[in-house]
Amino acid sequence: MRRLDRRRFLRTALGAVVAYAASCLAAPLARAQRFFRAPPWKIRTPYWGFAVDITKCIGCGKCVDACKTENDVPREPFYFRTWVERYAIRKSGEVTVDSPNGGLDGFEPMRDEDSIVKAFFVPKLCNLCENSPCIQVCPVGATFKTEDGVVLIDRKYCIGCRYCIQACPYGTRYYHPTLKVADKCSLCYHRIKRGLNPACVEVCPTDARIFGDLSDPRSPLSRFIAENPVQVLKPAMGTQPKLAYKGLDREVR
Amino acid sequence: MKDLDHLLRVAATFVVVTVGFLVVRGFLIPPTFGKLGHYRAAAVDDVKAMPVRYAGRAARDACARCHAGPVRDRASSSHRGVWCETCHGAAGAHAADPKSVKPGRPAKGEMRAFCGRCHASNITRPRGFPQVNLSVHNPGAACTECHDSHKPKL
Amino acid sequence: MDPMIEHLRDALEKVVGFIYPNELELQWSILIVMYPYVTGLVAGAFILASLERVFNVESVKPTYRLSLLSALAFLIVAPLPLQLHLGHPFRGIEIFLTPNTSSAMAMFGFIYAWYLMAVILMEIWLDYRAEIVGWSKTEPWAPKRMFYKVLTFGVTTVTPGSRRIDDVLGRAITVIGLPSAVLLHGYVGFIFGSVKANPWWSTPLMPVIFLFSAMASGIAAVMLLYMFLTWMRNRPLDMRCLDTVAKFLLTAIIVAFTLETLETIQKAYEAEEHFDILALLVEGQLSFSLVFLQIFLGSICPIILLGLPQIFGVSDQGRKSLYAVSGVLALIGIFAMRWNVVIGGQFFSKSLRGFTTYKLQFIGREGLVAAIGVLVLAFAILAVLIRLLPPWTKDEPGRAPAAGGRAS
Repeated sequence: MRRLDRRRFLRTALGAVVAYAASCLAAPLARAQRFFRAPPWKIRTPYWGFAVDITKCIGCGKCVDACKTENDVPREPFYFRTWVERYAIRKSGEVTVDSPNGGLDGFEPMRDEDSIVKAFFVPKLCNLCENSPCIQVCPVGATFKTEDGVVLIDRKYCIGCRYCIQACPYGTRYYHPTLKVADKCSLCYHRIKRGLNPACVEVCPTDARIFGDLSDPRSPLSRFIAENPVQVLKPAMGTQPKLAYKGLDREVR
Repeated sequence: MKDLDHLLRVAATFVVVTVGFLVVRGFLIPPTFGKLGHYRAAAVDDVKAMPVRYAGRAARDACARCHAGPVRDRASSSHRGVWCETCHGAAGAHAADPKSVKPGRPAKGEMRAFCGRCHASNITRPRGFPQVNLSVHNPGAACTECHDSHKPKL
Repeated sequence: MDPMIEHLRDALEKVVGFIYPNELELQWSILIVMYPYVTGLVAGAFILASLERVFNVESVKPTYRLSLLSALAFLIVAPLPLQLHLGHPFRGIEIFLTPNTSSAMAMFGFIYAWYLMAVILMEIWLDYRAEIVGWSKTEPWAPKRMFYKVLTFGVTTVTPGSRRIDDVLGRAITVIGLPSAVLLHGYVGFIFGSVKANPWWSTPLMPVIFLFSAMASGIAAVMLLYMFLTWMRNRPLDMRCLDTVAKFLLTAIIVAFTLETLETIQKAYEAEEHFDILALLVEGQLSFSLVFLQIFLGSICPIILLGLPQIFGVSDQGRKSLYAVSGVLALIGIFAMRWNVVIGGQFFSKSLRGFTTYKLQFIGREGLVAAIGVLVLAFAILAVLIRLLPPWTKDEPGRAPAAGGRAS
């Protein structure tokens, strides 16, 4: 009787160990199956995104001016919610980048154009990260993502520690010199909530800037992203930007 | 028990301070904080309340009501994608009060620089975008002497 | 015209290469250099104090109370540079009201409160309680007597049983305090080490490097304070104590320097996308403060100077001089290290294509004067603390205070 009990006990124990080991072995597979996570715009409507068509940008800087006007961004050449960079790749392999006054006054032609292999303009703005490092580091909850996916700043709550400016890999935040808080592109949230386009999109003469609803597959933005090869900036950062670029060169950072 | 008396008093002080802090904290946290997430929900309304400066393409009909000619010309020209405010500047205030607020228009002397912002030849612009070499293309003449800015093709 | 804007317009001329336009302004100034420096002194001083209690290193006993008081003084001023630097200093309280759990900076409130309340204050109080009770009866000056009375919490008798309990509890708190000190400074390193956008900061080694350099700076500070105060009081130095402290200082500097070197080698060997710009940074704007101050003057020199007595016999007077010089050099080197991390990490653009500049301001909320003021304030607080809670007993004329401060 006692022997039998022990044998039964051993069998149960062995069974438990085998079952546990099996579940451990199966766990990676089970997790891998759950690897795909539906993006938030499959659940929430609307969910805003943005795209830039580098192949269309003519570097007129109207967007930079409109942004500063619409959002009262200080007119100094070191405070921008959006700006335009010019890249030139030379025959020697040298890459030159400039953005005089953020491109607000347009771009004078470069002097030694003969040595240029290719050149293009890259408009920059908030990358609308799904995993925003700026929100992650804000100590008090003064910057946040709205339910429709836009990263905003609470000017009445921001303590001005500037950790978010350090954390943004794209340099899209600045410290407002008079308000003493961080400031950034709000995707013209006050406009899009009234059914208008962001100011930069309104004035872009070549439709190089596309704003729209990612949750609507028929929106111009969703169609643009679906129909074109697009890329995001610094994908290895894991920030998952909702700002997509068409025609992005590898030299662009 | 007597040996522990001083420690119990410290512990009591600690509890009082902690509870006091929690009570004060309860009063100081903004009322809408945490309603939608770890932020002040009212902040969204603050941002939404910012003033609109550009009337935007949604105001197309409002523009056409007074400026039917230019709007019609532009609609069928190569400038059809260019919105009024791209050249004329923010006109939200003008749309709201057309009489007293007048949007800008480039002076004749600045015309070449103004149009050149987009059309001066520049290797960085996309190939195929209409560009002119300003130093050889009718130097000195204002663009509008030949081109209608709303219907630029000759 | 806003002086900051004036300053930035000048800085615009000095940009090298390409930076994102918003990167012109260097956001974290000398005050944020001061912050990890001061917190480092706290952690280091506390760890030195813990050696005596937790690991029973009897010889460092004369510095035990001094270490605790220094840790408290520095801890009191530690949040000051942070708060001075804020755009809205009075909103700083929000860190305690609505701390964002994913923010390293928000954890400051918790770690700071825990460390101050539960660890340092408790440990000092338990250690001094018997004397406080005595002083509350004998102190002639009424306000001071009142202060002691409050600190007794109304319990004016000290029984042998309560002394035993205090001692056990004190030991327990030190045991908890040690990981707390490690956490306090590890967290400061994490503030920088967790910023993935910045390749100069982003490394998991950052908290460990900060920790060991913190230990070095704290030990050096307490060692110098001990030497200075003993000289002021006209008492002989306890050389056994000083030798032991110096040995710990040497160990901390060696470990910190080794970690920093390992990190550099790793970065150079992996040579990722950002390596070129970091190399330019080290050769350029940081060549003096990193290569000369931090590595040569602040690490290699003290290692050699402190190593000499370990190999050769050096007279008491010689060792004293070596220790004093090494202590000062270590403090300079570690300040340079904080500078190189905080300021250095903001010189280069996240586009990895250029550099901005930083001009140290003298006056103003974020200037050099404010930063020095913070340090001076810490020493002023320490002076007051030493007056209120003397780390040594008065009756030891002329002889070596081997048994040191702790009254029996």
